[in-house]
Amino acid sequence: MLIFIIRRLLILMPMLVVISFLVYLGLEFTPGDAVSHMIPPELANTVSAEKLELIRESLGLNKSFIHRYWVWLTHAVTGDFGHSLSGGVAISEIVLDRLPATLELSAAALLISTILGCLLGTYSALNRGKWSDSGLTVVGMLGVSIPEFFFGLVAILIFSLKLGWLPVGGRLMPGFDSWFDHLPNIILPSLVLSLMMTAGVMRYSRSSMLDALNRDFIKTARSKGLPEWRINFLHGFRVALTPVIVIIGFRLPTLIGGSVIIEEVFQWPGVGAEFIEAVRGQDYPLVMMIALFSVFAMLLASLIVDVLTALIDPRVRMGSE
Amino acid sequence: MPRSALDRKFDRLREMEESGKLKTRTGSRALRKMLNNPLALVGLILFSIILLASVFAPWLTDYDPGKIDLRGRLQAPSAEHWFGTDKTGRDVFSRVLYGGRVSILVGLGSALLCATVGVLIGCYAGYKGGWIDVICLRISEIFMAFPQIILVLLLVSIVGQSLLNLIIIFVLSGWGAMFRLARARMLSLREEEYVQALRSFGVSTARICYKHILPNALGPIMVNVTLTTAMFILAEAGLSFLGLGVPLNIPTWGNILNVAQDLQVLQNNWWMWLPVGLVISLFVLSVNFIGDGLRDSADPMQQG
Repeated sequence: MLIFIIRRLLILMPMLVVISFLVYLGLEFTPGDAVSHMIPPELANTVSAEKLELIRESLGLNKSFIHRYWVWLTHAVTGDFGHSLSGGVAISEIVLDRLPATLELSAAALLISTILGCLLGTYSALNRGKWSDSGLTVVGMLGVSIPEFFFGLVAILIFSLKLGWLPVGGRLMPGFDSWFDHLPNIILPSLVLSLMMTAGVMRYSRSSMLDALNRDFIKTARSKGLPEWRINFLHGFRVALTPVIVIIGFRLPTLIGGSVIIEEVFQWPGVGAEFIEAVRGQDYPLVMMIALFSVFAMLLASLIVDVLTALIDPRVRMGSE
Repeated sequence: MPRSALDRKFDRLREMEESGKLKTRTGSRALRKMLNNPLALVGLILFSIILLASVFAPWLTDYDPGKIDLRGRLQAPSAEHWFGTDKTGRDVFSRVLYGGRVSILVGLGSALLCATVGVLIGCYAGYKGGWIDVICLRISEIFMAFPQIILVLLLVSIVGQSLLNLIIIFVLSGWGAMFRLARARMLSLREEEYVQALRSFGVSTARICYKHILPNALGPIMVNVTLTTAMFILAEAGLSFLGLGVPLNIPTWGNILNVAQDLQVLQNNWWMWLPVGLVISLFVLSVNFIGDGLRDSADPMQQG
């Protein structure tokens, strides 16, 4: 098992390095460099060309591309990810500052979508072919078809603006900082964010449950005279749940993608909102680092999924590579 | 032997056949099966309505989507302006129709381009195998390591905003999935006996690949094209909503929704964003219904 994990980690590392190189290369094509961003446009004409050259030289900007990439990479490995162009704050600081909010929102959405998706999917499978099953299937289709941000806007209009039950957005009211205080703030964004994933989980757990219900041990349980709920929930559901749990890892892209826009709609101060801010403000180093962090998170998640699958199903360990 | 009800039924059928009332069914079996699926049919009808309404926009509305009329600002829906007017007095209904043209073009066009690129590379790499296959696989892995919206936004910030750029970016971010699919189908199909027969005749690789094997892999690819279209339309709407997609002067569904970022508009001027949001949802829903119907008709194993 340990060898399996180490082997996977060894594949992951070069992947990250190659991606970081490509992103770094891509940013070479963006207009301007660090120096032109440091000097305000209205002063740009007053600074002489020689002086600009001097600054560039002192920052190492005149060195070759490969050299600069190497310097950047060695710094990044030691945890120095550079500074944001606007304000010059260390990028690691910005991300660490924003990360808890994103994690909180994602965890809530993950929890809601898993519970709701499994319950609805199981219900749908148990009532296969009836109108409630087809109804849920259509609702599931609606869930993946409505743009998440539009759903969020409608939710804000109804629950915040018209009914006034929940806050319009934000994470913390000034002066309140306990976990319980921002419960009202997280309800809407996490529900909206979990919408698309709930539909996915529902679909998956439905087919997985149908699959489980056709197995022999279900017939055995029924022939033993066990009550129907015991058969469905203790025997069927348990078997059906295993692949559903593995699929959680695969939902991470949806989660990251969704949270970028949802954070913006609800003004949730997370990494996603910061990313959009950075793209708008053309803060290239910050854009690049957040993108790389998200790649890292994705690779890590797929590693965890692989390990989980290998734990559950020993055949995977033998078969890979 | 006594004649059963079934015998009588068959007699009736034969009679109808002989008198020419019963025609042999024509057309593709998959297509017929799809049309028998009520949801797929609903999807197809909805899809056609929205598509045709966008294509024939000039005949359906007299208003120019970009014409500013400052005296007719912020009007609620009326017989004159079906979806009302926006902050600068532009007719929202005509903007939705004309916006559909661009949004559908971006969604469908990018999905088809993705399929073309992914299938062309995937078929060849999957069939040939060897180092070409390994290189293509690694490249697609790099693209697929990003969460899609992050990759799209990263590319937007590198190459800048424009309609053409957006389509290119979508293709870059989406070809990997299509490549994987085509390649996987190819890996199993290339072992079939008819492929060996073709090879023994000395048919060229490209011909075997694209003329003989590809048609057998088209089913899942078509399903994927519909799902990718749905995804790109949602992505365009999301990006333009954020103001980072298609430039704001071109009407698209996402750009019309852009105004809803303002809480004032959100609360007081529902007609400016609610109808277009519903149109997007319905269109994506119809595409998903069609995709589902295609999946069922192309692959009977997946019916459940």
